[in-house]
Amino acid sequence: MELGSNYLYSITYYVPECIAIIAMAGILFLEIAYKKDESKRILLKIFTVLGFIFTLAALFCLVDLPTKKIFYNAIVIDRFSTLVKIVAVIATLICYYFGLLSRDIYTYLKSEFGILIMGVLVGTMLLASANNMLTLYLGIEMLSILCYPLAALKRSDEKSAEAGLKYALYGGLSAGVMLFGISFIFGILGTIQFDEIAVRIASLDVTQKMILLPSFLFFFVGLGYKISCVPFHMWAPDVYEGSPIPVTAFFSIVPKIGGMAAIVRVTAIFFTTENLLQYTWVGALSIIAALTMTVGNVSALGQRSVKRMLAYSSIAQIGNILLGALVLETVGYQAIIFYFFGYMVMTLLAFGITAVLSDQYGNDYFDRFNGLVYRNPLMAIALIVTMLSLAGMPPFIGFIAKFNIIAAIIQKGFYVLAVIAVLNSVVSLYYYMRLVRLVVFKMPDSTEKLFNLGIGRQVLFAIMGLLILITGIFWEELYTFAHITNQIKLAH
Amino acid sequence: MQHLLDWILWTPALGILGILLIPGKSHNVIRFWSLFVTAVTFLMTILLYCQFDPSIPGMQEYFSVKFPWIEQFHIYYSLGVDGISLPMILLTGLLFFLCILSSWTITKSVKSYFALFLMLEASVFGVFMALDFFLFYVFWEVMLIPMFFLIGIWGGENREYAAVKFFLYTFAGSVLMLVGLIALYFVSGENADSFNILALQGGKFGAMTIKLFGADWNFGKIVFIGMFIGFAIKVPIFPFHTWLPHAHVQAPTAVSVILAGVLLKMGTYGFLRIAFPIFPEAAVYFSQGIAWLGLINVIYGALCAMAQNDMKKLIAYSSVSHMGFVMLGLAAMTTQGVNGAVLQMFNHGTSTSMMFLMVGVLYERSHHRWIVRPDGTKGFGGLYTQLPIYSIVFIISMFASMGLPGLSGFISEALIFLGIYKTFTTITVLALVGLLIGAAYLLWMFKRMFFGDVNPAVVEYHDMNAREIFYMAPLCVAVVLFGVYPSPLLNMMKASVGSLVSLMAKFQ
Repeated sequence: MELGSNYLYSITYYVPECIAIIAMAGILFLEIAYKKDESKRILLKIFTVLGFIFTLAALFCLVDLPTKKIFYNAIVIDRFSTLVKIVAVIATLICYYFGLLSRDIYTYLKSEFGILIMGVLVGTMLLASANNMLTLYLGIEMLSILCYPLAALKRSDEKSAEAGLKYALYGGLSAGVMLFGISFIFGILGTIQFDEIAVRIASLDVTQKMILLPSFLFFFVGLGYKISCVPFHMWAPDVYEGSPIPVTAFFSIVPKIGGMAAIVRVTAIFFTTENLLQYTWVGALSIIAALTMTVGNVSALGQRSVKRMLAYSSIAQIGNILLGALVLETVGYQAIIFYFFGYMVMTLLAFGITAVLSDQYGNDYFDRFNGLVYRNPLMAIALIVTMLSLAGMPPFIGFIAKFNIIAAIIQKGFYVLAVIAVLNSVVSLYYYMRLVRLVVFKMPDSTEKLFNLGIGRQVLFAIMGLLILITGIFWEELYTFAHITNQIKLAH
Repeated sequence: MQHLLDWILWTPALGILGILLIPGKSHNVIRFWSLFVTAVTFLMTILLYCQFDPSIPGMQEYFSVKFPWIEQFHIYYSLGVDGISLPMILLTGLLFFLCILSSWTITKSVKSYFALFLMLEASVFGVFMALDFFLFYVFWEVMLIPMFFLIGIWGGENREYAAVKFFLYTFAGSVLMLVGLIALYFVSGENADSFNILALQGGKFGAMTIKLFGADWNFGKIVFIGMFIGFAIKVPIFPFHTWLPHAHVQAPTAVSVILAGVLLKMGTYGFLRIAFPIFPEAAVYFSQGIAWLGLINVIYGALCAMAQNDMKKLIAYSSVSHMGFVMLGLAAMTTQGVNGAVLQMFNHGTSTSMMFLMVGVLYERSHHRWIVRPDGTKGFGGLYTQLPIYSIVFIISMFASMGLPGLSGFISEALIFLGIYKTFTTITVLALVGLLIGAAYLLWMFKRMFFGDVNPAVVEYHDMNAREIFYMAPLCVAVVLFGVYPSPLLNMMKASVGSLVSLMAKFQ
C-alpha cells in the first residue's frame, strides 16, 4: 500500500487515541484562553469530560471489529486491546471526577491534572495495542514520564515531591534496563516486530535460546516495574502514599492495566510453543505471581494509613491478575479482562471513599474510619461491599473475578498456584476486615456529620456499590462481553 | 407447591426488603414483622414436610427447581430436598422462628439486627437446598457476612476478636473447598453436570490422578482432604475447633443458638451431601482417621467442658463433644450409624439450642454467666428454690443434652453406638466414656448453680415470662416427643440414608 493511503487507512482505526490526543491539546489551548476568566473554567471541565466520553464512544464502535494491524504493523487493534482501553478510559474519567472534588489537587493547580491524566491514558492505550518493541517502549515512556509530575502534584507537600522523585528514579532505571534487554533481543533476532520475533524464536537452537533468556528477563524488568510486581514493587507504597488520592487511584489502575496488557500480549505472542524460553518465562511469571500476592498481602497487614494499605492490596491483586497471563489461552485473557472491570470498580470505590475522609481530616489513618456507619451509612455500606468484594467473598464481583482466574489456572493444572492464591485471599480478608471492623464495630469519635459528599458522589458511590453486587450475581453478560473472540496470538 | 423450596428460601430475603421500608425507630413493628416472616417460613417448612414422600430415596422430583444461571460455566440455580436435608430445613425454620422471639430484648440497632438475621436464615436455607455446587458455595460463603456482623456488633466484650476469628477460620476452610469444586468441574468434563452435586456422586474420581510437585497423586484423596478441612472447620472437628468457644461465648444468645443449632450442622451436612458421596473411595480410605478424630472430639470436648467456669463456654464445648458423635456415626457408614448421625444432628440442634436459650434467659437477669467466678465464689446458687419454672425447663434441656433415655439425645446416641460397634469396637468403648463425662459436667454445673445456699443476688430474679415460656415450649415438646417416638424423623430420612449407605457399601 502506498504510504499516504496506509496512514489514512490506519487513522480510521486510531480514532479513539486521536480524540484523546486532541482533547489533551485542546485543554492546553483552552487553559491559555480562559486563564483570566474564572467563570468560563467550567467549560474547560466540560471539554475534558466530553473528551473522555467521545474516546469511550469511539472505543465501543471498535469493539466488534476483527483484528487490524495498522501503521505498518506497529500497532494492533484487537478486541483485547479495545477492552483494556475501555476499562482505562472509564477509570480515568472517574479519577478525573474525583480529582475535581479533591482539595489536594484543586487548591494547587487547575487543568494540569486533566492534561496529565489524559496523556497517561494515551500512553496506556499505546501500550495496550503495541505490536513492536518500539511502540511498546514508547508507550511505557509516555506513561511513565507523565506519571512523575502527577505523583508530585501536591507541590508544597514534601511527601508528594519525594514520591515524584522516587517514581522518576525507579522509572528511569527500569526503562534503561528494559531498553538494554530490547536491544539485545534486536541484536540476536534482528527484528522488533512481535510476530517476526515469534517466528525467529521458533527457528533458534538451544544455545541461541540460552543467550536470549537474560535479555527477556531484562525486558521484563520494565514491565514488571510498571505493574509493580514483587521484586520491583518497592517504589509503589511510597509513591502511592505521597500522591494525592485521586492520583493514587489512577496509578493503581490505569498504568497497571496497560502494563498487564503488554505482558499478556508479549506472553501470548512469544511463548506459545513449548520450548526452553516458554518454560522459563512461565516459570518466572508463576513464581513472581505467587510472590506478588504473598508479599503484597503480608505487607498490607500492618499498615497505619488506609491509602498505603490499599497500595499493598493493589500489589496483591496484580499478583492475581498475573496468574491469568500464565494460562496462555483465551479463557485466561477473558478472566483478566473481567478482573480488570471488577478491580477498577472496587479500587475506585475504595479510593473514592478514602479521599472523602482524607479531605476532611488531612490524613487517612485507620482510626478516621471509626464508626463511619453511624455517620454516613451510604459511604459505610459501599465501603463494606468493596472490602468484602476485594477479599473475594461471594456474591460480589471480586469473588467472580477470582473464581474465573482460579478456574483458568486449574484448567491448566496449576493446582499449587491455585491453593496459594486462595490462601492469600484469606490473608487479605484480615486486613480488609480490619477496616470494616472499625467502620462498623467502633463508636465514632464525634457524631458530627461533616462529610459533604454532594449529590454526584453519592450517586456514584451508590451505583458502584450496586454494580459490585449485581455483576457479582448476574455476571454472565459481563463475562461474555470480556470474551476475546480472536486469539491474541498472531497467525504466522 | 412445586415452587415451595423457592418460597422457603426467598421469603426471609423478601422480609429484609420489608424491614428496610419500616422506619428504624419503630422497633416493635420490625420485631413483629420479622416474627411474621419467620413464622410464615416455618409454616412453609411444615407444609414441605406434609407434602414430602418419605418412600422415595434421593431427591424429590416434585419439589426440584432448576434453571440456568451462568450458562457458560454450566452453573444452575437448582434446589432440591431429600430425607437428609428435610430434617435440617425443618430445624432451621423452627429455630429461626424461636430465635426471633428470644431476640425481643435486643435494643441496639434493631433494624440492622433483624435484617441480618433474616439474611442469615435465607443463606442457611440455601445451603441445605442447593444442588449445584457453585450455588452451594455461594450460600455457604454469604452466610458468613451476616454472622460476622451479628457477632461483631451485638456480641460480648471480646466480640471483635471472636467475629474476625470466626470469619477467617471459616473462610480459610471454604476457599480450599473452592479449589476442590473448580478442580471437580474440569475433571468431570466441563459439561452440564459438572457442578451438579448429584451427578458428581458415585465415586467417579477414585481412579484419577493429578500431578503435583512432579508426582502423581490420587485426585479423589487430594480433593477429599481439601473438602474435609473446609467442612471440618465448620463442624468443628478437633484441630480446627478453636474458633468455636470464642464465637459462641461472644455471640448474642440468638446467634449462639443458630450457630450451634444450625450452622454446625452445615459441616456434617457437607460430608453427607458432598464429601462422602462424591469421593466414596477416599471416605472409606480415611474412615478410620475420621472416626478417631470424632472420638477425640467426644472426649476432648467433654473434658474441656468440664473445666469451664463460664456456662456458655461449657455448652460450647459440649457441642464439640456432641458433634463428635455425629462424626463417629458418619465414619462407620452403616445404616444405623448414619441414621443415628442425621438424627443426632437434629436432636443436637434442639437440645443445645435449649441450653443456649436457657443461658440467655438467665443472662438477661444476672448479666453474667459465671458458674464459679475467677475469684472462687459461686456465680449463682440455690436457683432451684427461686426460679421453679426455669429450673424445670433447664432440667429438661440438660437431660436432653445428656442423652437420658426417654429424651431425644438418647435415641440418636444409641443408634450411633449400634452402628459403629462392629466397625470400631475400641472407639465405641472409649466414646462411651465421653458420654459419662458428658453427664458429669452437666450435673456438676447443675449442682453448683441450682443447689446449695441461695446467692443473695439470685433473689431478685423473676421467673421466666410468657414469651420465654412460649419459645421454650416447642423445643421441650420436641425433645420429649422425639425421645419417645422418633419414627417420624427416622421415616423421613430412612430411604435417603439407605441409598447413601448402599452407595458407600460398594466401596468398602
